[in-house]
Formats: sequence, C-alpha cells, structure tokens
Amino acid sequence: MKKKLMDILACPIDKYYPLELHIFEEKDEIVEGLIICPKCLRWYPIREEIPEMLPDELRDEKDELPFLKKWKNEIPKKILSEGKPFTLKIKERAMAKKNS
Amino acid sequence: MEEDENRKNVREGYAKIATGEHYCNAQTSCCDSSTTHEELSKKMGYTEEELNSIPKGSNLGLGCGNPAALASLQEGETVIDLGSGAGVDCFLAAKKVGEKGKVIGIDMTPEMLDKARENARKGNYKNVEFRLGEIEHLPVADNTADVIISNCVINLASNKKKVYEEAFRALRSGGRIMVSDLVLKRELPASIREGAHPSSCIKTAILKDKYLKTIEEAGFKDIKILDEREYCFEEFTDDPDVKVIVANRSTDTQELKSISELDEESKRIVKETLASTLSINVSAMKP
Repeated sequence: MKKKLMDILACPIDKYYPLELHIFEEKDEIVEGLIICPKCLRWYPIREEIPEMLPDELRDEKDELPFLKKWKNEIPKKILSEGKPFTLKIKERAMAKKNS
Repeated sequence: MEEDENRKNVREGYAKIATGEHYCNAQTSCCDSSTTHEELSKKMGYTEEELNSIPKGSNLGLGCGNPAALASLQEGETVIDLGSGAGVDCFLAAKKVGEKGKVIGIDMTPEMLDKARENARKGNYKNVEFRLGEIEHLPVADNTADVIISNCVINLASNKKKVYEEAFRALRSGGRIMVSDLVLKRELPASIREGAHPSSCIKTAILKDKYLKTIEEAGFKDIKILDEREYCFEEFTDDPDVKVIVANRSTDTQELKSISELDEESKRIVKETLASTLSINVSAMKP
C-alpha cells in the first residue's frame, strides 16, 4: 500500500476519516502495518502490501491474532487491550484462566 | 444471517476460481489468458489492443463486459472498481486515468487479490491499488471518487441497496457510476434458482426494474441504460459461474461446446436461464 492511499481510506464500519496509520515494514510500499479507526478502535492489518478492510463478520480471529502478536511491541496498547474486533489481552487472560 | 451465508458462499466460490481449483480442466485452464477468455471478452466489447495491454492472467473471463465505463474515463480521475477480481478492468482503467489518476480495486476474496497484486507487479502499475474489502462496507471516505465501476459483481450481493448507497456516499458530487451487471428479464422458476450453485450469479440476481429502482433509491439521478443484451450460449458454457447452473446435472460440463450435448433437463434449464437473464450497462450520476 502507498501512504498516499490514506487520503481516501475510511473505516468501513463507521466511515470515519481520516484513519491512523502505523508502519511496521516498508520497502517501495508499506508491506506490513496497521490502520486504526480512532473513533470505533477497529484495527485493520496491512499484510503483504494489502490493506485488509473487511467488516467484522468476514474476519477470522485465528488468522489475525498472530499478526497482533507479531507486532505487539509496535501496536498502541489501547488497541491491544480494547481494539475491535479482536484483542490480545482478552485472549491471553482467557488462556491464563484456562491454565489456572 | 442469510446474507452472511450468501457472502460466505460467494467468497468461497470465487476463491476456488482464483486458485484454479474449480471449474478448470487441464486442457483449457481458466487461469491463464486462454483464447476462449479473450474471444469472449472481445464479444463483450473489449478491443484486442486493450486485451493485449494487460498482464496475462488478469482476465479470467468472469465479467459481462464494461467497455462503456472504460471509454468514459478521463485523465486524472479517481476510479473505484467494486469486485475487482484479478484486476482486468483496473488495469485497463489505469491506462485511461494516467499517472495523475488512481484506480482502487476492492474485492472480498483474498485469493483474487493475490492474483490481482501479482498482475499489478507484472505490469508495473503505479496508479493501481488493491484492498481487501466488501462492497456493502466500502473502506472509502465520503465524496472522494470520480467514478465507480463494477463488472458483473453487484448481482452477487444480497443487499444491493447498501452497495449503491455506499457507492453514492463515496462519490463526489457530479461523480458517476458505470456498472455492468446481470439482471433478470422475468422471474426465474424457483426450481432453477434453488438448484443453482451457491456462488452463482443467478441465485441473487433481481428483476431489471427493481435493480434500476434500487439505484434511484440510493439517490442517483440521470440513470441510463447504455447497453442491454441477452447472453449467448457460448458465454454460458465458458462462464465458470454460470457453468455450475448445470454442473450438478451434467457430468461433463467443462467440455460443453454446444447446447445439444446437454441432457434434456439441463437443456431446459439453460434455455430458461438464457431467456430470463440480461446483461445491462448502466450509468448514473450523483447530483
């Protein structure tokens, strides 16, 4: 994805604009990164240069949690704990509960 | 819930087309730019020059043709392609709008986007971007696009009104939609509709009048039908999406060359479907 694309990108759920961009890996284009809607706290991954802006019902937690884990040191804490549609902490807490 | 189910079916169906798992046979792979797809695309109104100018593999022969949309594009325009598939219309549009313009292809099937991105790289396109998204929830800011194009995709959406409302929102005032799509001339017999493959376009197609009304209700003005034609049998035998209409009935639909090869019941279904469907090209304006 090119940075310039942010000019017309909006949250597919609440249509909020402008969105926040966090770049994790960049070559000619943004290879990996995160797009955040500051209004509803939904996050959208950029993987292999493609921004994935799907509505919640078409997203797969199993497929996307590894992405959050991979970049957890770069991702704002608020998103890790309160982001939509999935968060790391809740999952980890649930795991901890299960293990205890 | 029924909408979610439909979306899931369409996604899975088109993922299979993109990866070539389904509908293809060894002799005539639909995953490279085979002669059949080019011949078919010419019939839909694309010129030979246009087809030669795009990366091989971007034309999967899946649309109903949207040449009028492409012809209308001006240099510098921002174009959004709803359901961009492997990217054929995006690449053709990119040439038209030039470096100052941009084209954004949106598709909800990751496998299709992979193909599109690979094709963009092959063709070294600088002004085309793809994103994973859904046309009922466009990830596009209000009032930003000059043109929204779509080639035989909206018929697959369960909520067509929402698609057109989203297109209306994303367009700037004075912007336009240029859409080609499959509509029904008359209601399909329930047995055919119900028997169709879950990702088939006739499953969710609606009557022409209702379709045009939907565009109007989304706020569009100056709605024009630029072209209207009936499908021919060749399109049916080659279109992987429609092929599945009879796939459950005939054992070897991949090899279909003429209607005479079908069993009686399949023949009836194909004839009835041909008689009930239309390909239309529509334009409309956001005031």
